[in-house]
Amino acid sequence: MYQDYLDKVKKLLKGKDYRVVGKNVRRVDAIEKVSGRAKYTTDFLIENALIVRPVRSPYPHALIKNVDKAAALGVPGVVAVITGEDITGENLCGYYLDDQPLLTYGKARYIGDPVALVVAKDEEAAWAGADAVSVDYKEIPSVFDPKEALEGNFGIHDKKSPADVKIRKGDVENAFTECDVIVERTYKAGAQDHAYIEPEAAIAIPEDRGGITVISTNQGPFRTRATVARILGRPESEVRIVTPYIGGAFGGKDTYGPIISAMAAVAADVTGQPAVIVYTRYDSFNFRFKRCPFDIRYKTGATKDGKLKAIDVEYLCDCGGYTGQVIGLMRRAAYHATGVYEIANCRINGMAVYTNNLPPGAFNGFGNPQMLFAAETQMDLLAEELGIDPVEFRLKNALVPGSRLGTGQILDHSVGIKELIKKVADKADWKTKRAETGMLRNGTKRRGIGVGCSWHGCGTTGFKQDWAGASVIINPDGSVMYSTGIVEIGQGTITSHAMMVAETLGVPYDWVKVETNDTSRMPDSGETHAQRGTFIGGTAAVDAALKLRERLNTLAADLLGCDENQVVIENGEAYNMNDPFQKLPFPDLARQLYQTGLSPAEFGFIKARRGYPDPETGQGDPYAAYTFGSTIAEVEVDLETGEVNVLKLYPGVAAGKIIQPEVVRGQVNGCGMLGLGYALTETVVRERGKMINDSFTDYVIPTIKDKPELEPFVAVEDEYKYSGYGAKGVGEIAFIATPLAIANAVYDATGIRFYDLPLNAEKVYFGMREG
Amino acid sequence: MKVTFKLNGQIAEEEVNPNETLLDFLRNKLKMTSVKKGCDEGECGACTVLVGGKPVRSCLMLAVQVQNEEITTLEGLAKPGELSVIQNAYMEKYGFQCGFCTSGMILATKALLDENPNPTVEAIKDALEGNLCRCTGYEQIIESVLRAAELRKSGNY
Amino acid sequence: MEAEIRPLPEFEYVAPASLKEVIAVLREHGDTAKLLSGGTDLIPRMKKLAITPGVVVDLNRISELSFIDMREDSLCIGAGTRLTDILQSPLVQEKAGVLVEAIRVLASPGIRNRATIGGNLCNASPAADTAPPLLSLDASVKLQGRDGDRVVALSQFFTGPGETIRRVDEILTEVLIPYKQGPSAFLKIGRRKGFTLSIASVAAFAVITDGKFEDIRVALGAVAETPILSGKVENLLKGTEVSEENIEKASALVKEEVRPISDVRASAAYRKEMASVLVKRVLNKIA
Repeated sequence: MYQDYLDKVKKLLKGKDYRVVGKNVRRVDAIEKVSGRAKYTTDFLIENALIVRPVRSPYPHALIKNVDKAAALGVPGVVAVITGEDITGENLCGYYLDDQPLLTYGKARYIGDPVALVVAKDEEAAWAGADAVSVDYKEIPSVFDPKEALEGNFGIHDKKSPADVKIRKGDVENAFTECDVIVERTYKAGAQDHAYIEPEAAIAIPEDRGGITVISTNQGPFRTRATVARILGRPESEVRIVTPYIGGAFGGKDTYGPIISAMAAVAADVTGQPAVIVYTRYDSFNFRFKRCPFDIRYKTGATKDGKLKAIDVEYLCDCGGYTGQVIGLMRRAAYHATGVYEIANCRINGMAVYTNNLPPGAFNGFGNPQMLFAAETQMDLLAEELGIDPVEFRLKNALVPGSRLGTGQILDHSVGIKELIKKVADKADWKTKRAETGMLRNGTKRRGIGVGCSWHGCGTTGFKQDWAGASVIINPDGSVMYSTGIVEIGQGTITSHAMMVAETLGVPYDWVKVETNDTSRMPDSGETHAQRGTFIGGTAAVDAALKLRERLNTLAADLLGCDENQVVIENGEAYNMNDPFQKLPFPDLARQLYQTGLSPAEFGFIKARRGYPDPETGQGDPYAAYTFGSTIAEVEVDLETGEVNVLKLYPGVAAGKIIQPEVVRGQVNGCGMLGLGYALTETVVRERGKMINDSFTDYVIPTIKDKPELEPFVAVEDEYKYSGYGAKGVGEIAFIATPLAIANAVYDATGIRFYDLPLNAEKVYFGMREG
Repeated sequence: MKVTFKLNGQIAEEEVNPNETLLDFLRNKLKMTSVKKGCDEGECGACTVLVGGKPVRSCLMLAVQVQNEEITTLEGLAKPGELSVIQNAYMEKYGFQCGFCTSGMILATKALLDENPNPTVEAIKDALEGNLCRCTGYEQIIESVLRAAELRKSGNY
Repeated sequence: MEAEIRPLPEFEYVAPASLKEVIAVLREHGDTAKLLSGGTDLIPRMKKLAITPGVVVDLNRISELSFIDMREDSLCIGAGTRLTDILQSPLVQEKAGVLVEAIRVLASPGIRNRATIGGNLCNASPAADTAPPLLSLDASVKLQGRDGDRVVALSQFFTGPGETIRRVDEILTEVLIPYKQGPSAFLKIGRRKGFTLSIASVAAFAVITDGKFEDIRVALGAVAETPILSGKVENLLKGTEVSEENIEKASALVKEEVRPISDVRASAAYRKEMASVLVKRVLNKIA
């Protein structure tokens, strides 16, 4: 099942350099996107589609006594008013647990909890209808702080906590007694909005021959299909999900895709007509699930020679009114809580707590940014107490091949972090700058430099088996059809797949056409999240392509009259390596497959090489491989205003083989800006459960003018043996490291430690004066 | 109300309602779906179109205000089947990822280069200040604009 | 906190060709008529039902509202002049450079290509970026209504957040800026480097003779219920030496003049401190 794919492709290519992989090609989606023809969900203008508007609870916690549809149904143009009891299947849409109805009844648990859907002929009627639905609420006491929720009895659900996670490794109590230095702090990392430019939307169309098609902003077409099918009470074969081009996702459409799809689907199902729901930016800010706020108490102990010995971590995750994706992100945070270091003794306790805030969703990093903000600040605090340079301290403790993680997992290879830290530090000229900064004055400005290290296991966390399918079909003329269930959300993954298929088959990249967006004609490759698109989705592609290649080799050997191991297929031609001028064009080879009755198609299917950590000890192999990141940030702080100006970011990734260098550079840059936002300006401000900075005016994301100098990323290509071409995922790693580095740099510049993000100007200003 | 205007070089005459935004008019009635709705309140720039060659947020104009104006959307940048120099530059330099901000970026780029064929990086940042991008970190967008300027200089348009 | 973004409500739309027509419409409809200039404030507010006009009066056909001229010693700018045109005008750069400085960092190009100076002033946000420079230049505005026209000092124009002395039958037609030679500067603090609202802003204009502030005007935005002039600072500095010491005093004193609010953007305490820092920096630039 777990093949040495890297080894296989290298053997196949007989040690030659890759022709396609590792180069920069025209992306599969390039022409559509620059021409404006790329279709996103709302670009499908379906004639006579009905408009859907939800009716939502204005209260964070309330009993729902009655929903009166009469007035709304009387509004001209309103076709239907749908509540939970109208749902023909199961009224459940929780990502992990069955605690979340699509349309709530009996109780509303957060501001915006959907109670009904109004379906109408046009926008005006839909809005007027939604205004006219009369819901009899009885407000009950609400809670917004997880600690308070734990201590009180708010009865949001039967249990106060839907889940917890534990890691137990070694003997923490004993280990602390042997430590020379112990540092303990509490940290807060808050909610962040995805703020992708395309808001959520879904269109559902009842099909003439039965069944329903939903076009929507999602990241997991098959999960979306399963959710919609369950809610409609239909078999999955009757539900088709189309994932068109997505205008940014970052995890938000992973959590929310099934929800918005189901809303449209229910409306279409009840009315028998196409129905469309489009979130306004206000809806997106107020109601779409976001990054989960963490409260962390982190205690670290080390010996005076600079070796980490023990950590004791306790954290609460504000899970809002429903579980959302808290279980996965809480666990991921636990598995990564040590940071990129080998620590022999670990006690980690994480708990999710229901409150009446908005439930948490997936967002780039998924729990790691929060946890590693704590872990990496701890590292700098310890380094200072021990009198060791922060980079040196990290190098002393960094994971190496053979290291045992906090979960007990042993990483036997593909652990490039130590080399990465060194390279990034060299590139940033850390030693020189570090010696100069802190005291350097530049008028009223002071410079600082800081480092942050991150890691992120590639693959879905926890529950679900992490599988991917892929389909490769060679056409009689030698062109290739490739199909995957991984979707294009901007990250360019499907182009990587096409490149790996082309490389493996021995054809030019242009000969491979990629199909991905329709569950009725693409394989289930799991969700597009968790840095798994290339790592697992792409490996399935290589799995399929390798099987075909073997068949092609055998056939070619036969036709060329040589041994199989003498066959070379490259650039669309096959030949005997001992007789290279006798070329057999690939199209001829392809035609021969059909003529000889050999299958021109293969299906790849793999599952991730990982297990399930023990629920009591957290010991196990939660991820097949880990991508590592390290970023150094140079900042300049205006002492008079508190403004933090990030001058330059030096990012680095150890992500195995880089399939598309320019695309990855784009990823790393984008992640850098996302990280800069989380570090300096982005936070969801809530008042009694209501987001009050719910527009782009007040939810401040970086503009082009906020871009610092972005050094091209350092890459340590620590190839992973069991993935296609040795690639690991790279979509999240550079984001995670960025706020860590910036926070440490701000300390270097100001001498003030901040234990919660963001470090906006006002916070830094008053922090400097209090400190 | 009837409006007469030029859309991508062609004269157009259409019926509009007073309370229709230019954005909704372009997308829903004229099928110019390259113009995107990101926030509908002028804060993101995804709905940028050129009015008389100048970038404007189409969500902040009424459709009826298009009377006698010349409107350019991304669809109008090149002949069908072709791509303009700016579009080629964005492709070459990876100036896009999810592509949702791209139409606004490319139109703002056109307006910039039409006025300032040799922009500095600072001038590029000034011109694209109001176009938000969440994916690229803006770096390769700047590189695309510089490349477009280069290509235009060599005589291509 | 923003209200929901909704489809625009219905309204009657008129696009007059002359000022006379506008005034007639305003007479007829009173405060159910709203003037549409750039639309960059009006349209979003209509989408949030913060404003629900019965009639929208589109001013964009009235070419007589858009001009930049010198008349005797005053720079006159039509209320309907686009901010971009003001930004790019060599005449304005020469005669009212501090206004150009402010517009350069006001919103973003796409907004400035539609927004007008009249709209920015009449919208009367306490943080309006054209206001402090105009106040520092002792600008006036001309209002035309059913009873004829009147000229009002800008310092009298703003009466509260979003409120002005403009009567319901009046339209602001032009901004008059008396030209005086002297150094000026504008600075603002926002929450990011581009396309950002002011948390605090300061504009100042001075006539410096023999190393003294012969004349000094210091205006601030976003730190009171309207854009304001700091009389206290002006009185302190007038006639005194242009010195670091006096500038420090001025920057400390302004904290007594400002009365900012706390909101999700910034706390009153921070705005107050930033007003002080900006006054110091602006005065240093002028000195």
